[in-house]
Amino acid sequence: MLDVRSILRILADNIKRTGLPVPGDQGLLTSWSTGLGLSEKGDTILYTGGLYQLLPYIEEFAEYLEKLEGGKAGGLLLKAAGRLGRLANLSKIVVRPSREKLEYSRQVLVSIVELLRRAGVEIAYPGGVDSYSGVLLYDMGLDTVFVEHARRVAQKLESVGAETIVTVDPHTTHVLRKVFPQYVEGFAPIVKSYIEVLAENIDKLQFKQGDAGRVVIHDPCFYARYENIIDEPRQLLRRAGYTVVEPRRSGRMTYCCGGPVESIAPRLSRRIAETRARELDEAGGGTIVTLCPICYSNLRRAYRGLGIERDIQDLSILLYRRLGP
Amino acid sequence: MSIVLEKVLEDIYRGLEDPEFSEAISRSVSNAEGKHLRVKEMYPYVEELRLQVLEAKKKALENIDYYIDQLARSLERNHGVLHIAGDRDEAQKILGDLVGSGKLVVFSKSIVAEELGLREHLESLGNRVWETDLGQLLIQLEHGRPMHTTAPAVHLTIEQAARLVREKLGVELPSSPEPEDIVSAVRRFLREIYYRADVGVSGANAVAADTGSIVLVENEGNIRLVTGYPPIHIAVTGIEKIVPTLNDAISYALVQAAYAGLFPPTYLNVISGPSNTADIEHKRVYGAHGPRELHLVLIDNGRRRALLDPGLRDHLRCIRCGRCQWECPVWHHTANRWGGPTYGGPMGVLWTAITLGKEAGAELSMLCLGCARCDEVCPMEIPLSMLIRGLKRVYSSKI
Repeated sequence: MLDVRSILRILADNIKRTGLPVPGDQGLLTSWSTGLGLSEKGDTILYTGGLYQLLPYIEEFAEYLEKLEGGKAGGLLLKAAGRLGRLANLSKIVVRPSREKLEYSRQVLVSIVELLRRAGVEIAYPGGVDSYSGVLLYDMGLDTVFVEHARRVAQKLESVGAETIVTVDPHTTHVLRKVFPQYVEGFAPIVKSYIEVLAENIDKLQFKQGDAGRVVIHDPCFYARYENIIDEPRQLLRRAGYTVVEPRRSGRMTYCCGGPVESIAPRLSRRIAETRARELDEAGGGTIVTLCPICYSNLRRAYRGLGIERDIQDLSILLYRRLGP
Repeated sequence: MSIVLEKVLEDIYRGLEDPEFSEAISRSVSNAEGKHLRVKEMYPYVEELRLQVLEAKKKALENIDYYIDQLARSLERNHGVLHIAGDRDEAQKILGDLVGSGKLVVFSKSIVAEELGLREHLESLGNRVWETDLGQLLIQLEHGRPMHTTAPAVHLTIEQAARLVREKLGVELPSSPEPEDIVSAVRRFLREIYYRADVGVSGANAVAADTGSIVLVENEGNIRLVTGYPPIHIAVTGIEKIVPTLNDAISYALVQAAYAGLFPPTYLNVISGPSNTADIEHKRVYGAHGPRELHLVLIDNGRRRALLDPGLRDHLRCIRCGRCQWECPVWHHTANRWGGPTYGGPMGVLWTAITLGKEAGAELSMLCLGCARCDEVCPMEIPLSMLIRGLKRVYSSKI
């Protein structure tokens, strides 16, 4: 059994040292933007919060934990690592994501930028400002570390003086829009998910003509229940030619992918993901569309475990594929 | 009682590896999930009742001492007796003194009685005690714990239930019994016990301060027998069940039934004192066909402390309909293996924090997904996921 407090200590320590939940540097967050010609300054900036980029690493970490959890050594090893301060060494063992996973994350972000451009949104990307939002700290109740981290992130964001911050995933959207203002005095920029921005500019998006097939939509909890972003992805998918299939438990009552407990209770997390994966599979559609990197990763892992072949794609990838010339 | 997250997880994993457990929960969830919406569609006035109860609960909790005093006076007028227990030990002592030893006692289902260990305590004093709600009886027979608030035996398949009834009650059942066979066998078994019982112990869905009435909602009919047959009726409930008026208390029970997904309830019981008659010379005599004594034991057990705690206060509005359990993805895979020794699921984590302390609730809180499905369905608008996140802060402050 895993020693949960040791996991939390590792997480908090990593974020205090590097600003990231896993060992790495700023390049890990920003390298995707190389060669895109994005401006550093503008009224509307993209802030990724790093979840897409970090997810391959977090996924590896979760898989490692699941293996540890199966053996008796798990708790002891984590405790020893925590006590000896050899967190970096432990993390080095853990974090080796595949090239394929890293490439997928890059494609998602590149697709989002291209979609925003095609929607006529002038988007800047001050790479030096992009950073991990600290959402995991907040979710785990590590408030002291979270508040320190949030203040640093907010300071960086405020330093560029943007009017609107565009986010790319539900967790970062929520934490920036609703949580930061509670913890960081005076932090009140306009925060919008790229999905909301695209939906606002839907008429400017030129998609290919014709039927793009059926997709089963998996709403992430944070968009559906915390941010009420439910109609927008459907509007965009339909406009791009897809037929949207609603699974059991969709929209406001969507079902969790199990992600939030993956580092504490990996086997429980996997079972929840499998339940969701099965019902999405039974919805009678084609590709499964996710709007969150955590959902994407968890459901993909669940299908692999269940031995079910299912195409899962991020919303941005599906929309990008349908962009007209 | 100390709760350790890692031990809770071990138990959860035992459940995940038990195919019968998972199958039974999964079958029940597919029947129960979203059922309150169908009820509300058929009976739209349930929404008005919900709002009435929400306001009544807020009002009562803000003025709890006033309403306890009013309840005491009302009950006295009705020839009932009010007892107040600060904690588990006091509650056990009160029940022990009222029941004594060598008695036959019947319980209707009461989660507060579970919280206080009353059945076991009365047994330890040399009483013969029987649960009469079918699900709760199965729990008693397997020496287990309720796995859902309103459906305690939700984790048992029909095969397991039949095995228990056959082996522990010694009754005959067909080799592949239908639910009807089990229900019928238990009915026959319990009839004689009701008739001979010295004391009936019930819970209360709601208590009206203005009339001193106890309101109980049910489908099986066992509560009518437990509270109507034996000469002494003892109702045990938490102080948070008090609402200002009988009108509120009846609405409370109806909303509880609607959100439990069992609507209309088959029976709604209002008990305002011992049975009585004035048919002879218009002189009132207590102890007619029903009980001659009514005792109401009000329990604090952490509730007053919670009233002063902004991180728990809102949860005292909980009417224990179990709706949050039916909708929670974690509960769907663990049942009440997650939530605490008595209560389970999202509401259970918070009831555990109230009754056993915040440290205990904090250990459990870490398994909450924060997905907020529970918040969406709670009839009392309790921000469950936010309150549970508050407990995560308690847990994580000790890393």
